[in-house]
Amino acid sequence: MANYRELWESLGVDLKKHDELCAVLPEFFEEIYLSQNDRPENMNYFNFVVSEIHGYRIQELADHKEKGAKVVGTFCVYVPDEITFAGGGIGIGLCGGSDFWIPDGEKVLPRNTCPLIKASIGAKLGNTCPYFSSADLLVGETTCDGKKKAWEILGEYTPVHVMDLPQMKREKGKLHWMDEIKIYKDKIEELTGTEVTKENLEKSIKLINDKRRALQRLYNLRKEENLPISGKDALLITQIAFYDDPERFTEKVHALCDELEKRAAEGVSVFAEGTPRILVTGTPMAIPNWKMHHLIETSGGAVVCEETCTGVKYFQDLVNEDNETMEDQLRSLTDRYLNINCACFTPNDGRIDDIIRLYKEYKADGVIYYSLPFCSTYAIEYKKVKEALEKEGIPVIMIETDYSLQDAGQIKTRLEAFFEMLDAPEK
Amino acid sequence: MNDKQKTYILFPSHAHGLSLEKQLKEHQINYTIVPTPRQLSTSCGISIMIDPCCKENVENILKENKNIETLGMHTIEVKKRKWFSD
Repeated sequence: MANYRELWESLGVDLKKHDELCAVLPEFFEEIYLSQNDRPENMNYFNFVVSEIHGYRIQELADHKEKGAKVVGTFCVYVPDEITFAGGGIGIGLCGGSDFWIPDGEKVLPRNTCPLIKASIGAKLGNTCPYFSSADLLVGETTCDGKKKAWEILGEYTPVHVMDLPQMKREKGKLHWMDEIKIYKDKIEELTGTEVTKENLEKSIKLINDKRRALQRLYNLRKEENLPISGKDALLITQIAFYDDPERFTEKVHALCDELEKRAAEGVSVFAEGTPRILVTGTPMAIPNWKMHHLIETSGGAVVCEETCTGVKYFQDLVNEDNETMEDQLRSLTDRYLNINCACFTPNDGRIDDIIRLYKEYKADGVIYYSLPFCSTYAIEYKKVKEALEKEGIPVIMIETDYSLQDAGQIKTRLEAFFEMLDAPEK
Repeated sequence: MNDKQKTYILFPSHAHGLSLEKQLKEHQINYTIVPTPRQLSTSCGISIMIDPCCKENVENILKENKNIETLGMHTIEVKKRKWFSD
């Protein structure tokens, strides 16, 4: 086995504690992922990435850093990776999907804070995530009150840059966001010493768009009547998209899609005929948060799409590639990023339109509205979403749950009752 | 041998694992890349899991490809913890 201990030690990782985290992964992954039947062969690459989650990619980042590259850690789909990569940085989405990091987070944050925030802060402060330790800069944003205040605490330990996201989609909000992107560009240039030019930005727009195109291709295959891939596997791929090398990731997703297209042509499905098709909407699922998908797919349902940040919000819109000037490029970035419909915006009717559209496109039978505890914006928005879906005759339930597995049995009971009600074959 | 038993091939580095993967593909031997079970090693990283009945074929591949180093093949029944109990 590759010995990464020296590498982790050089990054300041708490080896003893980190080892407790490593001990859990093989069994957890085995139960959730390897227990599935008929997984596509090309999932082996993604198994590889998870198996080497704190090894191979961390070594790769260390090698890039050795050559002078800078690693930029982010927490949100609003931070434009295009700018990071154009300036010679490497963007990585940071972890925050495990219960393991919560106690360290609760040392500095109130317990009634969302688990995603507690886990992220805990991973950094407890020195148990080598991605945090590899990052030269962390980039936060103002998508919720919890995060806004957490950045102040995080800033005591490591360099943090915060992007001020407007909360209303008006023209002045657009101008403001474009200004924020410019400020971020300056920050990246200052960090890397590399100027962001029209040429390198053009390349990075293409690079990130290509990744989005690959994910779009994957998700389009989930619209098939016979599902060639499970929701769990698709979720894993989207989660990996945040921190893997973009070029390699794109290539591997296309290789998988080639296999899935063959399956689709042959009518192969990884689920039994009549399995209810579920659209999941709500809060992000950071790796290794596979809880809701696993519960759905072991209770008689199949997840066909995620209207979440670890789903279509991440890739459904591309950045316009046809720009004459750098100002045009920055405007295109602004337009693309402000088109994401996060619950931090008011009003946020675009999200309701998205959910109804996706429900139809993916031929879903029902919607599961997933919310992490203490996420006020998503929890409150449920009322309007529910009313709009009911008007359309779309069945929906809300499930609020954190990372602990104590409520798994309870959730399974609710899901089974919901699926029974959907009565998919007679629909 | 029961069907719960699996054979795990361990490697000194992921590069050797990926080289064997290439060979397994060429020889059309079914395999799965997995995190190494803790029963076998406390180092984080990949192993290749195969059906125990393919062990001999893989041994032959390794004999022909001396450049692929392994840390042995182990046939075990992996402990299951049942994280999501009903």
